[in-house]
Amino acid sequence: MASMKEVSSNKCAGGFQKVFEHESTELKCKMKFAVFLPRRTCLPWFCHVFLSLSGLTCTEQNFITKAGSQLGAAEHGLIIVAPDTSPRGCNIEGEDEGWDFGTGAGFYVDATEEPGRTTTACTRTSLDELPTLINANFPTDPERVSISGHSMGGHGALICALKNPGKYKSVSAFAPICNPVQCPWGQKAFSGYLGSDRSTWEAYDATVLAGSYSGPQLDILIDQGRDDQFLSASQLLPDNLIAVCSEKKIPVVFRLQPGYDHSYFFIYSFINDHIKHHAKFLNA
Amino acid sequence: MDLYEVLGGRLDVIEEESEQQDFSRESSRMEGPTAGQDRVAQGARGALQRFSVGTNESLRFEPCDTPSPTGEDDGRDDVFKYTESENDVIRNKLQKKVAEMENFAGHLEEIFLTVEENFGRREQHLEQHYNDVLQTLSQRYDDRAAALQEEKKSKLEALYGQLLDCGRALDANKELIESAQEVHRCHDKRLFLKVCSLKFAKDNMDLTLSTSLEFNTPLSDLSDVKTMMDSINVVPAPSAPVINPQSPNSASQTSLHVCWSLFSDDTVEYYELYYRPVLEECSLSGSADSPVKETHCTVSDLLPNAQYELWVTATNTTGISPASEKALYMTVPSPPVLNQRGYMSCPESALIRWESGNTNPVDSYTVEISEVSSDGTEIAVPSCQCLVQLQSGRSYIISVRAVNIGGPSERSEGLTVITKGTYFSLLEETSHHCLCFSEDMLTISYGYEDPPISAMAFDDIGFTRCVAVLGDLIAVRGCHYWEVEVDDGTEYRVGVAYEDTDRNSYLGANTTSWCMRHILTPTRHKYEFLHNGWSPDLRITVNPVRIGVALDYDRGTLSFFNVDLSQHLHTFQCNFINYIHPCFGLDNPGELSIRNGIEAPKFTFI
Repeated sequence: MASMKEVSSNKCAGGFQKVFEHESTELKCKMKFAVFLPRRTCLPWFCHVFLSLSGLTCTEQNFITKAGSQLGAAEHGLIIVAPDTSPRGCNIEGEDEGWDFGTGAGFYVDATEEPGRTTTACTRTSLDELPTLINANFPTDPERVSISGHSMGGHGALICALKNPGKYKSVSAFAPICNPVQCPWGQKAFSGYLGSDRSTWEAYDATVLAGSYSGPQLDILIDQGRDDQFLSASQLLPDNLIAVCSEKKIPVVFRLQPGYDHSYFFIYSFINDHIKHHAKFLNA
Repeated sequence: MDLYEVLGGRLDVIEEESEQQDFSRESSRMEGPTAGQDRVAQGARGALQRFSVGTNESLRFEPCDTPSPTGEDDGRDDVFKYTESENDVIRNKLQKKVAEMENFAGHLEEIFLTVEENFGRREQHLEQHYNDVLQTLSQRYDDRAAALQEEKKSKLEALYGQLLDCGRALDANKELIESAQEVHRCHDKRLFLKVCSLKFAKDNMDLTLSTSLEFNTPLSDLSDVKTMMDSINVVPAPSAPVINPQSPNSASQTSLHVCWSLFSDDTVEYYELYYRPVLEECSLSGSADSPVKETHCTVSDLLPNAQYELWVTATNTTGISPASEKALYMTVPSPPVLNQRGYMSCPESALIRWESGNTNPVDSYTVEISEVSSDGTEIAVPSCQCLVQLQSGRSYIISVRAVNIGGPSERSEGLTVITKGTYFSLLEETSHHCLCFSEDMLTISYGYEDPPISAMAFDDIGFTRCVAVLGDLIAVRGCHYWEVEVDDGTEYRVGVAYEDTDRNSYLGANTTSWCMRHILTPTRHKYEFLHNGWSPDLRITVNPVRIGVALDYDRGTLSFFNVDLSQHLHTFQCNFINYIHPCFGLDNPGELSIRNGIEAPKFTFI
């Protein structure tokens, strides 16, 4: 069982933006996560959790300082948990080789291959442990959790939702990597973490997972900047996901936002819509 | 008691008597019924008595032997006897007449008292007339009395003169007798005879009464008095009645209740009411109802919301009064006709409209609102529509009455309004001619066949290109929600528009309309959220068949949802400057149905 300790706390939007560090005793590495606690002045006292996964190279700081989510979270009474994208300082070999692999690029997989195994294991485990941790330490309703993410985090959010039917009440994503097995990023990461057997990759591909999804109804909101360089670099491939979802009748609203890129400015512009999207289900 | 008969009869008597006995009448006037008459009689008798009683004997000389004196005395005696018998006759007649007069006067008193009792109200009138009559009579009396006095005076003087003469003659004759006796005593008979003849030769007394005892009594012309007396009995024709102005709530749709009153204490046998409708072209004289005895009447078989002129006349035995002033009455209007579908409601209010139901204008309308199980409230409204404040989640019945000066009309047929959600109806007049409506006016369809040219409306209200229709104006602030049901294959446009949106343009193609549009391409379904011709780029993976439209005037937002999935599709930020109409259009043959009057799901207004 992991313990956690508060690293920082700032008053924000009437509540508190805090950062915690928890050490997974199993994995012997620490991961930080940020928690925004809104001020509650009325019932229900329990807040719903909105898990926000960040993208490549990000830490827990990016989201909490750039996304501008606190006001929306305060308005709708949501606890936003934003974990770091990978363990840091684990001193694993090769972890800092590339920005899109290893440190800061966990891809939310349970790596089977070394050396990423520990890295990603930490990420995955922490992702599983995290809700337990949150529920134990904060006034939350364990039944109501939503998940969201940007870019790689978007990929993570999608696969978590698709792999865990019913666990998350709603899911949304900013410029997610929709079809990693088809894009360079994904191929690089998966081959590194999972080996060369492509069939193992499919378990972590949102598009593929959607094709065989048979759980309770989802409601997916995806915002994508039209001027996102990575979109045009075919890293993101939303059309593939949409096609499958259309066929499989998985409800998705995909919005192509003209002029917007891949940055946090884009997230900042539409985070409120996502918070509302989740609040609709969390507060229903 | 008929005064006329009594007095008239008696007057005739008076007339007759006056021919003969105005003397006695005059005396009765002067001195009261009985006493004076006696005195007069006595006086008369006395006056005559001086002659008759005294003279009977004094005039009746002891029979003396002288033939001529006796003969002359006899003549004189005869004259006096004749006078005496005549006087007796006259006296008797007088007495009779006096007695009769007494009777008559008594009757008069009785009559007068009875009249006073029975005709209290006419007293003043009678008094007036009587005063006139009395005045006339007394004037006549004065004249006649004066004349009589004159006559009496002259007669008495004449008689007195005669008396003196007689007295003188008597003295002279006495002297003569003495001297004759003296002469008779002397023995010269021839001298006696000479003297006597000389003396007796002269002085032929004229012993006829110088004046007649009869009074000159011309016929008294009392015809004008008679007329005056006659007129007392006759009731004057009544004066014009006063017709009352229309009292509120006394009229109905087809009848009027008219009241009037008498101007004075006239006697009226019956009234006749005339009426005619006040129409510009019509100049008919009024038609009359059957005569009525009361001072009110109900006229029926009239037109609603029409003005009528009414006047009334009163009639009695004498004649018909002049017509009263004309009063204007108005019948109550017909009830209005509530637009059973053309109303809009939302949880806190309803906008209802109606048609007047009358060809002519009415003064105002009363809107009656009542909840199904309690009493209602009323609102007075000058025009044919009204926005009423209600409470949410209840069932109301609303009806309208038209009001004019005659009162309120019957209640119109009621309209049931349930204040749940927002209800509106489709404005048929705004629809494109290719659109057809279901009977409940909640489903529109665009058929494969072209409708006949006759269905085309050449006005500015209907859509000409976009096959669309507007719903009723949502004229209440706050949040409103309705749903549209479509199927996968229908290309539709669903949204809102301002009232002045261009009817020659397509929904969403201008700045005055916002809509969600579904387009079918060979490969996929395409969804647009159009305003001013621009739409964001969106992909929707599950085609909505039940679309929720949520309008928030205060926040200025218009949102669309897939209701079956509770999925939010898109929100326009609009900042509406005016109220809007919901709008619905079909771009290909198909149909769509509208569901309104429903509560908005929770997820629609976060």
